[in-house]
Amino acid sequence: VIHALEARHAPVVSLWVWYHVGGRNEVPGTTGMSHFLEHMLFKGTPTHPKGDLDRLLARYGAQWNAFTNEDVTCYFETVPRDRYEVALELEADRMRNALISTDEVEAERTVIVSEREGLENDPSFLLGESLQAVAFDRHPYGQGVIGSKFEIKLMTRDGLYAHYRRYYAPNNAYVVVVGDDRAETLVEKAAAAFERVGQAEIVASPLAPAPPQMGEKRLVVHRAGGALPIVQLGFHTAAASDPRAAALQALGVALAGGGGGDAASGRSSRLYRGLVEPELATEVDATFGLTKDPFLFMIEATVRPGVAHGAVEAALLRELGRLADEPIDETEFARVRRGLLASVAFPSDTITWRAFRLGSLLSTGAAQSIGAWYDALAKVTPTDVQRCAQETFVERARTVGHFIPEAG
Amino acid sequence: MMDVARRTLGNGLRVAAIPIAGLRSVSVLLAMEAGQFFEPAGRPGVARLTAQAMLRGTTSRDARAWSDALDGLGASARLDVGSHAAVFSGQCLADDLGAFLDLIADTVLRPALAPEALEFVRSRALADLEEAKKDTRSVADQVWRELVYPARHPFRTRSIGDEDVVRTATIDEIRAYHRAGIHAAGSVLVVAGALEADPAFDLADRAFGPWAAGNKLDRLLRLVDLDGAKRRAVVVPDKTQADVVLGWPGLPRTDPRFTKAQVANMVFAADTFASRAGQVVRDELGLAYYVFSTISGTAAQGPWTVRMGVNPENVERAIAVTFTELKKIRDGVVADDDLALARDKLVGELEVGRESPSGVAAMVLEAELFRLGDDHLERYPRDLRSVTKADVVAIASEFLPIDRYALAIAGPEIPAVS
Repeated sequence: VIHALEARHAPVVSLWVWYHVGGRNEVPGTTGMSHFLEHMLFKGTPTHPKGDLDRLLARYGAQWNAFTNEDVTCYFETVPRDRYEVALELEADRMRNALISTDEVEAERTVIVSEREGLENDPSFLLGESLQAVAFDRHPYGQGVIGSKFEIKLMTRDGLYAHYRRYYAPNNAYVVVVGDDRAETLVEKAAAAFERVGQAEIVASPLAPAPPQMGEKRLVVHRAGGALPIVQLGFHTAAASDPRAAALQALGVALAGGGGGDAASGRSSRLYRGLVEPELATEVDATFGLTKDPFLFMIEATVRPGVAHGAVEAALLRELGRLADEPIDETEFARVRRGLLASVAFPSDTITWRAFRLGSLLSTGAAQSIGAWYDALAKVTPTDVQRCAQETFVERARTVGHFIPEAG
Repeated sequence: MMDVARRTLGNGLRVAAIPIAGLRSVSVLLAMEAGQFFEPAGRPGVARLTAQAMLRGTTSRDARAWSDALDGLGASARLDVGSHAAVFSGQCLADDLGAFLDLIADTVLRPALAPEALEFVRSRALADLEEAKKDTRSVADQVWRELVYPARHPFRTRSIGDEDVVRTATIDEIRAYHRAGIHAAGSVLVVAGALEADPAFDLADRAFGPWAAGNKLDRLLRLVDLDGAKRRAVVVPDKTQADVVLGWPGLPRTDPRFTKAQVANMVFAADTFASRAGQVVRDELGLAYYVFSTISGTAAQGPWTVRMGVNPENVERAIAVTFTELKKIRDGVVADDDLALARDKLVGELEVGRESPSGVAAMVLEAELFRLGDDHLERYPRDLRSVTKADVVAIASEFLPIDRYALAIAGPEIPAVS
């Protein structure tokens, strides 16, 4: 399936290939396989030996990379307009012809372990990974994406190659392209490149949704490797294709705005005013992510020195309760709505991000176009947001995590 | 090429406007020469405290009213202190440009700087400092700076500041710094996106016209020159990866050799895939997930550093092969294709960077801030393409000596080399 949008403000084209394979397609023992495979797609094909792709794209000044999440693996290149065909040729080639040699698997294994170790240095990652595992005890979302270090060390070349042949084919991918040409032309060129690629037999393996959680779960992570305590709350919530998804995004903006960290924007949000202003937390965040299966509405607060976890957790729950108890007034909702719509409009002015946004909406089933998603967000009412808060922030659907730094 | 229109306001504020058809938003960058370079000697952290306190209300709006107004526009905004400038950056919808500039101007020209604002940002800064002590990248960066820069040098401390300074800064000191450092002279405003130049200039004049011109600050610094190899490893408990910073004092952005240094940096280590050190450390030997180098753009010798995240077992080897690649460059062993790749990549990035209004604004800001000339953006690709192998070798020989460097490592204990 190929989707294209015109963007004429710069002589650039952004090409994205989304494969329907990620953490959710893995089983215990091979966690991290989709992510490991993503790294191997940069190791060459018979036509483009290792290093060819890197140097070719670097020569164009391209912005290019790849990522893997719970649902998808995605590769992209933003290149000067006259290099679009080269980007297409590279992506079509590695869709079925990646080499994935034993030697390269061994060389890359240490890189991936290094990536994992870098993440482990971050207390927020450590706590979040554990919380996700506790919240999802019967769904692969509990396994995360990068995989356990031990399973990364045991990953075999043959296992990776089988995963590749199973999931990498035109009939298991979305191609999204945005750039400085007619949309029809962008599509025609992409179709010409990918129609030569053989299809794979994709065996649908539907995943059962996670069974309802019937009571609060709690966990604590102790480590010396962090200075400030953290509180995370994860509430089981809806998938991207759920009609409530737009209102859940609005709920995230109402709670934490679009800012975060040192940003000046987002300071009128509920959590900033309820926790950062009264000096309970240094930072707050609230996220409803677009995912294929129902995931978690995540809340995080970094606790100020001298403040107890319990005080921050109580303040978070108080703010969530307020949103469930009373609708947001007109003035505040006008700000939320503006922030929500800006969150679509601003990234869309960057060609790479416009392509990413469209691809993420399509691949998760959230909407069929950026315009449709914008319209869905524009229709959200204060009542919708309140109803989502009531349905989401319930005690028995929540998992509470505390990171406790130890002296070291 | 980009269509850059320029106007200087009566108070000396330089404004650049770049209309880009087909967009809905405008990117805004306001750079004030109030970064680390301009901080009072021995008072690192004052610039950032001042910037943070400026966001805590103005003489006409308290912090809540200002945030309500900003979020009412749906605009994004932040104020960061870098090595050279304090930069207000943000994005707003086209129709809101005037209101957005008014809000920024309110903060910049008329901050309340109340004592309670300082106490709020002080306690936040102390918490950030506490967190930085356990963050391996931050620790490695700070240790590296202490190895390179002498006491009272503006780059000896990260912009977050020194803990003692953050604890002891007074509101009078913050107000004095604002008076001395935040003014129109030397500042640059860049707006890029869905706009027309003349109306944008008028909006800028309405918002920033009343800004006091002030006196452009300058600072004379002694040349920093390392007298040997300096190395320090700091153990940060309960971490799995070591962060490594290897580097040298760089050269000012205004130095005519800076373009040559950018190409040399790209050949050496700027990119994980396109540069020699990146290719060998990550791609060939699999020693690190990330490895890259940067040259700081400032009016003085900012850091020129290679950074990598490495398993403790691989630290020594990763450092050794990085030096091997550097030595090759210094010896003139630079493949023609590696040099061509470096030049092509830097030129190509200029074209691809035009895909976003913020990318366009950043390119223009650098040229304006360092007064690189109105024709800089037109000339720059040609200058990059004209860099020769001899230039790269000369730059590496002068600025990247292999017997005079600073190396900082932070993370788990590094195993002894057998």
